[in-house]
Amino acid sequence: MSDIKEVKIVGTPALEGTYISEMDMWPFECQEFNRIYPFYENLREGKFTTTKCQKCGHIAYPPGVICPKCWSEELEWVELPQRAKVVTFTETQAGAPIGFELPLIMAWLDFGKDSPLKQLLARIVNCAEGELKEGDEVKFIVFNVPSHPIDVKKETKICDRVYYAFEPVK
Amino acid sequence: MVQKKNAVIVGGGTSKFGVRQAHLLDMFQEAAKACSDDIPALKPADIDGLIVCTTMAGRHSSALNTAPLVVHRLGLKPTSICIRLDTLCAGSNSGIIVAKGLVESGIAEVILVTGAEKVYMPQRWETNYTQLMVNDHDWDSAMGLGVPPPFFAMIAKMHMKRYRTTKEQMAHVSVANYNYGTTNPKGHFSGRTLTLQEALEARIIADPFGLYDCCPLSDGASAVIIASEERAKELSDRPLVYIRGTGQHATHSMSAGWPGETLAEWPHLKKAGEVAYKNAQLTPKDIDVAQVHDCFSISEIIEMEELGFCKKGEGGDYVASGAINLDGELPVNTDGGLISVGHPFGASGARQSIEICKQLQGRAINQVKNAEFGLAHNLSGTCAQHTVVIYGKEPVE
Ligand SMILES: [Zn+2]
Repeated sequence: MSDIKEVKIVGTPALEGTYISEMDMWPFECQEFNRIYPFYENLREGKFTTTKCQKCGHIAYPPGVICPKCWSEELEWVELPQRAKVVTFTETQAGAPIGFELPLIMAWLDFGKDSPLKQLLARIVNCAEGELKEGDEVKFIVFNVPSHPIDVKKETKICDRVYYAFEPVK
Repeated sequence: MVQKKNAVIVGGGTSKFGVRQAHLLDMFQEAAKACSDDIPALKPADIDGLIVCTTMAGRHSSALNTAPLVVHRLGLKPTSICIRLDTLCAGSNSGIIVAKGLVESGIAEVILVTGAEKVYMPQRWETNYTQLMVNDHDWDSAMGLGVPPPFFAMIAKMHMKRYRTTKEQMAHVSVANYNYGTTNPKGHFSGRTLTLQEALEARIIADPFGLYDCCPLSDGASAVIIASEERAKELSDRPLVYIRGTGQHATHSMSAGWPGETLAEWPHLKKAGEVAYKNAQLTPKDIDVAQVHDCFSISEIIEMEELGFCKKGEGGDYVASGAINLDGELPVNTDGGLISVGHPFGASGARQSIEICKQLQGRAINQVKNAEFGLAHNLSGTCAQHTVVIYGKEPVE
């Protein structure tokens, strides 16, 4: 070992003042990396949207680039309902993935018979442990999540990001 | 026209499962060694195909194109197939389905299907964090869905509500599987036993699950040989165990696509089972022993229902009646299952199939009398996909 020069421990070289996009839990939302970027742009305006097929009328979730029923590319953006009922839920007090605040509450939501989106698993925020009950009504909410840099020629552009969850209707 | 060949499972082995002081590639070697110990006549040169099944290799072991690494460490020279395959928890049973097709068509003669995972990282949080990448990342994972217990806890709550399943019935699954697994020398919880009272008094992991309702995450590897009937006879004198029928069905990736009326109904498993039974020319009544994916106690209960071993909604009564015990109607997870043996995702399917192979050859530790037909099942992802493989001592006609 004597002829190996002692070096300063630098840790993960990529962590030296940089952001590792591939390591976080949020989508790449910007136009440069996602053809469904309107979903995220709509989120910023408080809208919960998805793609509807203009050929067969099918409303898919998550939104896509083709219709999963008929594979048509002729799609339009439509709004989804923002209120749902809690069918069942789970509260995590320990062992949530790093980056999620505790308690991490996840609920199985029912959007009702008339909604094109019937069921969804969603995070419940602004809710204390023990507060949520089956049958409760919850509503859609949008919040900021960490931005990430992207290379644009020799410059670095910062992509701001948002995400959504649901909160109890009080 | 060339006659279709019959594919058989010749034998196999696993590494020790658990929190291992070992690299992913160490464990692939351990499983191959255990497989060759099980089939003493097998030489590396006999193997013309390799199917490597792993999910975490790319992230946890920085080994994205894993198959050549396994080729090198095992000294193989495959000529028919050399691939890495990932269906998460169903990896190596998916590999067996692929191997069956290749052997039956004559493309391959002797295939090693091997699965392994290095789950545990230098820091425990990294393991939970990686699980954000095995769900539908941009949708469910961004909601915080990482480790499985919260999702399956909702499934259990729904099953309890709709079908009056109880915590005690779920505990019967844990007790049966711990007590089967105590004699498994390779299991994560080898030597451990469990009483109903211990199960019911365990600390809560995610309501309604106590500690023993959940399988552990494990490091580990497994390996099996799938060969043509002709080559199998040259490799081993044991009774032949044929892969009679298989089924694999997926309907969605994220929660919005859940195919059931509620979380308590798993129609995609029912479908996978029906396809496998049809191909195997069998019905649920014909099955003598089963290895089903008991990632949680409730999973085994729902699997009994959807695979047709009892009526929908009666899975809780079925497991509590003793039907799944060694002297019961259908011994299930006779090697300890995921709950006792542990769950290195890509390795679990082959581990189950090895147990079915041994049962049908009459050499299992917890031997089921006169077992003729056996079934192995995995669910994978957030219950997004189901994989069923049915074995028998006679080939399909
Ligand atoms: Zn369409």
